[in-house]
Amino acid sequence: MSATALRLPDAAVPAATPQSVAEAAPLPDVLPPVRPRRGFLGFLRRNPTIAIGAGLLLLMLFVAVFAPLLWTTDPTALAPARRTRPPDSTYWFGSDMLGRDVYSRVLYGARVSLLVGFAVAALSSIAGLAIGLVSGFVRWADGIIMRIMDGLMSIPPILLAIALMALTRGSVGNVIVAITIAEVPRVSRLVRGVVLSLREQPYVDAAVASGTRTPMIIMRHILPNTLAPITVQATYICASAMIIEAILSFIGAGTPPIIPSWGNIMAEGRALWQVKPYIVFFPAIFLSVTVLAVNLLGDGLRDALDPRMAKRL
Amino acid sequence: MDRRGFLKAATSAAAVPLGAAGLSAPALSQGAAARTLRFVPQANLANFDPIWGTQYVVRNASAMVWDLLYGVDDKLEARPQMVEGDEVSADGLTWTFKLRDGLRFHDNEPVLAKDCVASIQRWMRRDALGLMLASVQNELAAVDDRTFRWSLKKPFPKLRFALGKSGTPCCFIMPERMAKTDPFQQIGEYVGSGPMRFVRSEWVPGAKAAFERFPGYQPRPDAGTWLSGAKRMGVDRVEWHIMPDPATASAALQNGEVDWWENPITDLVPTLKRNRNVAVDIADPLGNIGTFRMNHLHPPFNNVGVRRAVLMALSQEDYMRALVGDDNNLWKPLPGYFTPGTPLYTEEGGEILKGKRDFDAAKKLLAESGYRNEPVTCIVAQDQPITKTQGDVTADLLKRLGMNVDFVATDWGTTGQRRAMKNPPGQGGWSMFHSWHAGAECGNPAAYIALRANGDGAWFGWPNIPAVEAGIAEWFDAPDLAAEKAAIAKVNRVALENVVYAPTGFFLGYQAWRRNVSGIQKGPLPFFWGVSKT
Amino acid sequence: MFSYIARRVLATIPVMAIVALFVFSLLYIAPGDPAAVIAGDQATPDDVERIRASLGLDRPFLVRFGEWVWRILRGDLGVSIFTNLPVTTMIGQRVQPTLSLMVLTLILAVSIAVPMGVVAAWRQGTLIDRAVMGFAVLGFSVPVFVVGYLLAYVFALELDWLPVQGYTSIDQGLWPWLENLILPAIALGGVYIALIARITRATMLEVLQQDYIRTARAKGAGQGNILFLHALKNAAVPIVTVIGLGIALLIGGAVVTESVFAIPGLGRLTVDAILRRDYPVIQGVVLLFSFVYVLVNLLIDILYTIIDPRIRY
Repeated sequence: MSATALRLPDAAVPAATPQSVAEAAPLPDVLPPVRPRRGFLGFLRRNPTIAIGAGLLLLMLFVAVFAPLLWTTDPTALAPARRTRPPDSTYWFGSDMLGRDVYSRVLYGARVSLLVGFAVAALSSIAGLAIGLVSGFVRWADGIIMRIMDGLMSIPPILLAIALMALTRGSVGNVIVAITIAEVPRVSRLVRGVVLSLREQPYVDAAVASGTRTPMIIMRHILPNTLAPITVQATYICASAMIIEAILSFIGAGTPPIIPSWGNIMAEGRALWQVKPYIVFFPAIFLSVTVLAVNLLGDGLRDALDPRMAKRL
Repeated sequence: MDRRGFLKAATSAAAVPLGAAGLSAPALSQGAAARTLRFVPQANLANFDPIWGTQYVVRNASAMVWDLLYGVDDKLEARPQMVEGDEVSADGLTWTFKLRDGLRFHDNEPVLAKDCVASIQRWMRRDALGLMLASVQNELAAVDDRTFRWSLKKPFPKLRFALGKSGTPCCFIMPERMAKTDPFQQIGEYVGSGPMRFVRSEWVPGAKAAFERFPGYQPRPDAGTWLSGAKRMGVDRVEWHIMPDPATASAALQNGEVDWWENPITDLVPTLKRNRNVAVDIADPLGNIGTFRMNHLHPPFNNVGVRRAVLMALSQEDYMRALVGDDNNLWKPLPGYFTPGTPLYTEEGGEILKGKRDFDAAKKLLAESGYRNEPVTCIVAQDQPITKTQGDVTADLLKRLGMNVDFVATDWGTTGQRRAMKNPPGQGGWSMFHSWHAGAECGNPAAYIALRANGDGAWFGWPNIPAVEAGIAEWFDAPDLAAEKAAIAKVNRVALENVVYAPTGFFLGYQAWRRNVSGIQKGPLPFFWGVSKT
Repeated sequence: MFSYIARRVLATIPVMAIVALFVFSLLYIAPGDPAAVIAGDQATPDDVERIRASLGLDRPFLVRFGEWVWRILRGDLGVSIFTNLPVTTMIGQRVQPTLSLMVLTLILAVSIAVPMGVVAAWRQGTLIDRAVMGFAVLGFSVPVFVVGYLLAYVFALELDWLPVQGYTSIDQGLWPWLENLILPAIALGGVYIALIARITRATMLEVLQQDYIRTARAKGAGQGNILFLHALKNAAVPIVTVIGLGIALLIGGAVVTESVFAIPGLGRLTVDAILRRDYPVIQGVVLLFSFVYVLVNLLIDILYTIIDPRIRY
């Protein structure tokens, strides 16, 4: 047996047998033990991923909301005589092929990407929740609904979104709807799974036996248990939606170019990326950072809310 | 040896056992590579019927596979190509054509007069000049295997030009069985009598197309330029590699993975110019005219005052700089409708487009004309760089003018469909769309469909300006150049006063090729004959 | 077991039916009239009508759907509107590049990600673990095309180690085939590697806590033995599940990657067809991708019975 034996996770090491529940020492955290602090700061300290993720996300939100105040100019104002200037004191991130200020476009672009991300996350969560609940409770609908959801899930989400966008004009609203439709099946599957597992629980049986109406059961017993997985899933959907929006714009099937979004700023700059890389570079960084933030937030939430979820998600 | 070569050598040494198992294949020998020309075209070759599909890219490919009765040279004069000679009767009403000897199709069948007759008939139904010819013709028929006769009701001096022009659709000669296909359906085979054969089995639409030299081709004995004279191939094989991303194409050209790029975007040209192995030059001295067309049938552009207000505010420099960048050699302002550098070029009536832009005066004119904030449905195709860029500039222009812009971002295919609709903009129609015209077609009114103003018969936008039509008719009947010029000046003035369409400027494009390729001509389309590699 | 397989196969039929219905009706309600596009500039309304009739666009929905399904089942996917070639031919021409790319990416991703996840689980909490997880989150966040451009810039343009674009068929040599695919595979595989690594780590962590691992260690098994023979085998089910689900990511990402690297594959075909509204091609390709996805997951379900003897259906 080698000296560098398998290092088992700390949690597997059995604590000393407690004499009573009250005496039981708190289980060690996965991270090196620190003096656990109370309150919000303590929470953040214990969950650095949530802290970093939320912090970056709030920064992006701030940028998006306060874009007009952050030394930006009109993001759609053309100045073809001053096109493709490298970053300098007037054009902090340079100017693009029509002379527009990349800095302003990137900051305003945050609005679209964040809007798409949050809207899709919210809408698909609500829709998925509704469908999952119906599917979990109404047995005869379950089969049909799940077949439909399976069918939709069999079409790779990007293809589905592109195909839906091909039916309509490019607009932020249509992009949101298209990506939502592509993401709803997963949420509904998740909710249905929770509902199915909870439905068999004794306390739900008891509630049914004591005559509680179904909506009450849903509200009191089912919903609270779905909130955690849905929230975590929603953050992943948010990140995924932002990337899908960027890809849609990149291939020309997304947000109309008159509205700057990180995806279409990159799409317009892609022809020049070898000679003027900053046009693609800056929105790429902002997009990556934002998606990273959301992913970190999601991971942190998942670890904080229920570590067992790591298996299911 | 460069790094890639080194890596390749190192790994091929390691791959010898695999080679022994038959997995590695011999690399293309030096000789074979020199006989293959790899070309990056301006767009995807999605279909290959030059009468059915009138895109430039289809015409460019078709020019290799099919031949013409006449072919224009670099002075836009139609010279005999498949035709040995022609005879025109004294009253100009009867034309007799005789084909050259020994012309064959790619399936080795001889080219007969009846093939020519059928091809001309198919072409006539889709081409503007052809439609004009159809309206004045009596009869077009083959007399024997090598001769055919065309009798007209009125003289048509531009007949040779019509048969030999480079503007799409060109009058390519196909076997009779193919030419009998309805002009609104695609042909199913691609057999022609041109210097190259199309290798259908290697065609991957959207990615690649291949052409091989046809050994049975009979080039004319005389040398010529553009579509005229001997079309001798300097390579055995031409491969078209479709690359929608300019950055990829640029890198491929620099790395030697392709030999010739039809239209590098101007921003990438400096990098190409700096590369020792790449040569860059103007692609077509006759350039292009950028345009957007306004819908004369519906508000707000059915009002000439509104149209003129837009012209007043339009800055051709903005459009052109957006299209071609900082290089001043690549664009010219165009206060008119005719190609600079051609004999009929005129600036008569072009004051509205010259000088500093006066937005206040334009806004005043707009208000006075009675513009009541009607929405302008502006169709912009995103997948064509020219239309996309112009569209962005237009949106900005109209916004600054205070007009109500409804920006519709779509693709070139949908644009083609939507512009044909005459409904009001709010009901699926349009107010304006963007396009461009090859300078070669805008030298005179003969093939210039965009200039016509005969209402329903005109191009999309349907301008109805009798004075313009009268001027064009005058030009058709003009006896000499001076008379032609006078007629054209009148046409230009009246057309600008009534804004048949809005010219956004005249611009040129580059083409780029590797220095070991020679024989590349400047012209309205890429000419593959006379090109060879060392 | 055979009844299980038979049942699983049968279960995919309604799923595919839903996909087919969805794909078909998607385009039926699409705005934009292909007949008018084909007719072109000089056509009269009569000509447009004639083309509509020849395309069969004027017959009722169910009739068209029925005919379409019948043709599909006999292997006829129709003829492309724009190229006049049979859709099966067009797909056939482009299958090899996409298949090569996806298979190579799959092999690359699995062979990198699984060891990564195992090592991260083994060395949980250390720098290696953090680094691996950090890399994984990064892999989710940076869009595929940005990674693609970066790789092309560094390795193809600057260092000239690999070609910038294109695809060489395998019958022209193993190395030429590989060298065109390496950069795209890495770009495409980024997200996939991230996903697999995370799941591997999470599952391994769980498995490593199990009693039988401690027993194996107590019996004197070496750590390699423990990690790969005992732990990984038991962790296989979720990992293989994720590999199957991730195929959807691969398909979606292929669309973008093929664009960036000019690979003449199915992804580019799809995008071109959708933007041109070439209906038969769109239908054929989406149907094909979904079918592949369903097939892969079916195979994985069947694979479960081999991997995990506890799964008896």
